[in-house]
Amino acid sequence: MAGLTPQYVLRRLGMFLLTIWLGATIIFIIPRLAPGDPVAAMVSRLTAQAGYIENSAEIIAAWRERFGLDGPLWVQYLAYMRNMLTLDMGYSLSSFPSRVDEMIFSALPWTVGLLSVSTILSFLAGNAIGALMGWPRVPRWIRALLPTSLTFTSIPFFMLGILLVYLFAYELRWLPPTGAYGRGLTPGWNWPFIKSVIEHGILPVLSIVVTSMGFWALGMRGMIITNQGEDYMILAEAKGLRPSRIFLRYGVRNSILPQVTALALSLGGIAGGSTLVEYIFAYPGMGYLLYQGIVNTDYTLIQGIVFMLILGTATAVLILDLLLPVLDPRISYER
Amino acid sequence: MKPYWQRSRIYLLASVLLVMAMLLTACPAPAPSGAPAEKAAPAEEAAPAEEAAPAEEVAMEDYINAPREDTIIFDIDGGRVTDPENWNPYTPGRRLDQGYHQAILEPLFILNYQTGEFIPWLGESMEPNETLDVWTLKLRDGVHWSDGEPFNADDVVFTVNMLKANAPELAGSSEMDRWVESVEKVDDLTVVFNLTEPNPRFLLDHFGVKIWGSINIVPEHIWKDVDPLTFKYYDPEKGWPVGTGPYKLASVSPTEFTYVRDDNWWGAQVGFQDLPPAKKLIWTWAGPEETRAALMADGQLDSLMDITLGALLALKARNPNVVTWFDDLPYAWVPDPCSRTFELNNAIEPWNDPEMRWALNYAIDRDQIVEIAYEGTTFKSRHFFPAYPPLDALVDKAIEAGVWDLDQLWEHNPDKAKEIIESKGYTLNSNGYYEKDGKELSLEITTHEAFIEKQRIAQVIVEQLQAIGINATNRNEAGGTWSENFDFGRFEARVGWQTCGSVNEPWASLDTFNVRWLKPIGERANHNRWRWSGPAAEEYSKLVDEMGSLPLGDPRVEELFVQAMDLWFDELPVIPITQAKKIIPFDTTYWTGWPTAENDYIHPPTWWQHTHYIIHQLKKAGQ
Repeated sequence: MAGLTPQYVLRRLGMFLLTIWLGATIIFIIPRLAPGDPVAAMVSRLTAQAGYIENSAEIIAAWRERFGLDGPLWVQYLAYMRNMLTLDMGYSLSSFPSRVDEMIFSALPWTVGLLSVSTILSFLAGNAIGALMGWPRVPRWIRALLPTSLTFTSIPFFMLGILLVYLFAYELRWLPPTGAYGRGLTPGWNWPFIKSVIEHGILPVLSIVVTSMGFWALGMRGMIITNQGEDYMILAEAKGLRPSRIFLRYGVRNSILPQVTALALSLGGIAGGSTLVEYIFAYPGMGYLLYQGIVNTDYTLIQGIVFMLILGTATAVLILDLLLPVLDPRISYER
Repeated sequence: MKPYWQRSRIYLLASVLLVMAMLLTACPAPAPSGAPAEKAAPAEEAAPAEEAAPAEEVAMEDYINAPREDTIIFDIDGGRVTDPENWNPYTPGRRLDQGYHQAILEPLFILNYQTGEFIPWLGESMEPNETLDVWTLKLRDGVHWSDGEPFNADDVVFTVNMLKANAPELAGSSEMDRWVESVEKVDDLTVVFNLTEPNPRFLLDHFGVKIWGSINIVPEHIWKDVDPLTFKYYDPEKGWPVGTGPYKLASVSPTEFTYVRDDNWWGAQVGFQDLPPAKKLIWTWAGPEETRAALMADGQLDSLMDITLGALLALKARNPNVVTWFDDLPYAWVPDPCSRTFELNNAIEPWNDPEMRWALNYAIDRDQIVEIAYEGTTFKSRHFFPAYPPLDALVDKAIEAGVWDLDQLWEHNPDKAKEIIESKGYTLNSNGYYEKDGKELSLEITTHEAFIEKQRIAQVIVEQLQAIGINATNRNEAGGTWSENFDFGRFEARVGWQTCGSVNEPWASLDTFNVRWLKPIGERANHNRWRWSGPAAEEYSKLVDEMGSLPLGDPRVEELFVQAMDLWFDELPVIPITQAKKIIPFDTTYWTGWPTAENDYIHPPTWWQHTHYIIHQLKKAGQ
């Protein structure tokens, strides 16, 4: 492909590995800097449930030893790096004996499904609105209507979530208020389950899409307006091409490139989930899992989730970097 | 000329996006991989039933599709269950409140807060000898596990020995290790516990659902070959988790757990109780309070755990079938066993001075706390005990004896507070705060970030202390950090509930102040984390130690209590504030017979293990 040289690809892969290593190291250090001890957090939850327990100090000491938390930090670090290389994320400190990878992989599909659908829908809707807003030949009534569609962008999405629950689930009772799928259904590729997932997904997706459309719309509008002044636009008009063709093939196509970059970056980050949406809609995704990990100072869970995030984002950016010359032949990495 | 696919870059772009989209949609595929385990559950239910009788196979498969009128839906309050497949009852990260100990694991005895008596369940009796160091447990005859194996003394002995062998890591293990010297099977229905020292509270503390739960017995025939620390005890094909309760696990998800009735339940077979009326039980986590209340308003939840007054009133307006413990203010079930206290670090200046602690007490207006922080849904505390009848009787005795002056405790007198502070050499500075030797009189009150009730109390106290010239502030800490700081003594003041322990006898709460637990700041302490010390504390502790060895209900307990309170009252190491409240709404649209103050056959919190009793008392609405 034009623009990609073997040296560039190798260098780029090296950067990728370096990024991952650096990210993994930082995520090892930071939770340990925060006050609080994961084992004490675990025991305090036991106490909160049962009123009081005896010998909490001895319980804490025993579990710290079992988890290897009482060893020197560099020993823990080496064990951690070895585990990350083999993608063995170990046991969750707060939910022992659950394994981190089991917890992540049961939550991941819900997060990825919810957020990828929301991101793509909001990308499409936002860019469509933005492009139409920026193009001078769009009928006036459309251009007047569009900004109102972006009114909800300034509302925080969790507030919009609660408003939607109130309106559609409580008052109108059109949609279910909570959960990822209906009660009593067995997960699998069967139609009742899929239908239920879609039904339950409408409100969470809507709350994210409506509030994040504005970001894409404004960016697209800016790019369209910028590109209107280009010479090739004037030539296209002079050639007498249809306005819709000029709009799509010349206007939108050239403006979409930076948006695609942003899309790739945001898709890479969706593995982190959206904690508040998951909390409001009781959606069993990664965001809430990460939140619980942080609140419980669960080092292994936090490390596992964030490492996946780092991996996802770095991979998305890597793929994007390698694909950009395909999308835009003007880009070249030759020096 | 380049081929078409290279000429038209948009087609290349489209194919790249298509590949990415395919990769993304492939990701939800792992969800179905969780499905075989869950899909297997309803299918496999038929398998154990087949061993019993073909007729029952039909019944149990039907139960998973039981209609709403045959289903009770409960709320999970403790947050989302991070691992729905972990059914080990002992690991510290375990959950029992998602229906596990309410529907599957049955207790040996249930303490009924309303009557003060034990209800025998799996156990028939548990009696101590005269010296209170040998306890004999008699089990009920005819109990069997859900897989058909008999439940007997072997399981009890095995469980206790397993806990002892794995102390202190498993929940309940350090208690068994500390108290049980040895445990023996005498015959299939009799177990003898030989204690390390006399303990009048052995049954109460561990096997009687004193607060929330108890030590659960597990089947020896399954657990003897596994590592109890890593065993998850979940296998739908084998019917795990196996318990003795009238329900079996049907399906799990992070937000919902379904149980179906096991018509083979031992209790109906031996005539202990009828089968419970509900064919299906569901425990569900529904996110924030608004959604949970909305679900109950819509008839989709029968029992909710603790909501705020505002949510309750909105809920009742929408669904008039909702009832609570009291029909009127305070609505709430008051009290929950752990009363709310304003706790001070007794080892730091100037709060190591009892008079300064009393000054704080005079500055606090409990009526205002009840009004503002609770909106009227609780009572102010007379004592750090929860206001249960047996404990109330003791407090009455202390008041009669003149050692517990309730008027003085409840007195709200800012002027008196200021007088005391000024007598210690403090003067008001230009900021309006007291100051001595260049140091401002300040107080940082820390609270657990997850508990709104205590944060509200702290906020009101902050205002009240600010009003008299103390620079008080409130800070939230993550639960683990808050506990750590408490254990190590790294705090100034906190709003907590750590005097909790006593529900029908005084020793447990009194012992939390015992100097035998004393550790300096910087070392982890198990109790007396407020670091109360001094001659009064030492004398107090001697009285408490003596009380600890007396049998429950011994008349000498009352005498010792009065003497101990005499010493404690003057020192006030901890300031009792309010009784704990839990607003527990029940929906009577589908099920009636819920426990209320009018129908107080037992206490109401349905996240505790005594819910087994409640489930049997419910009736379908209209019956």
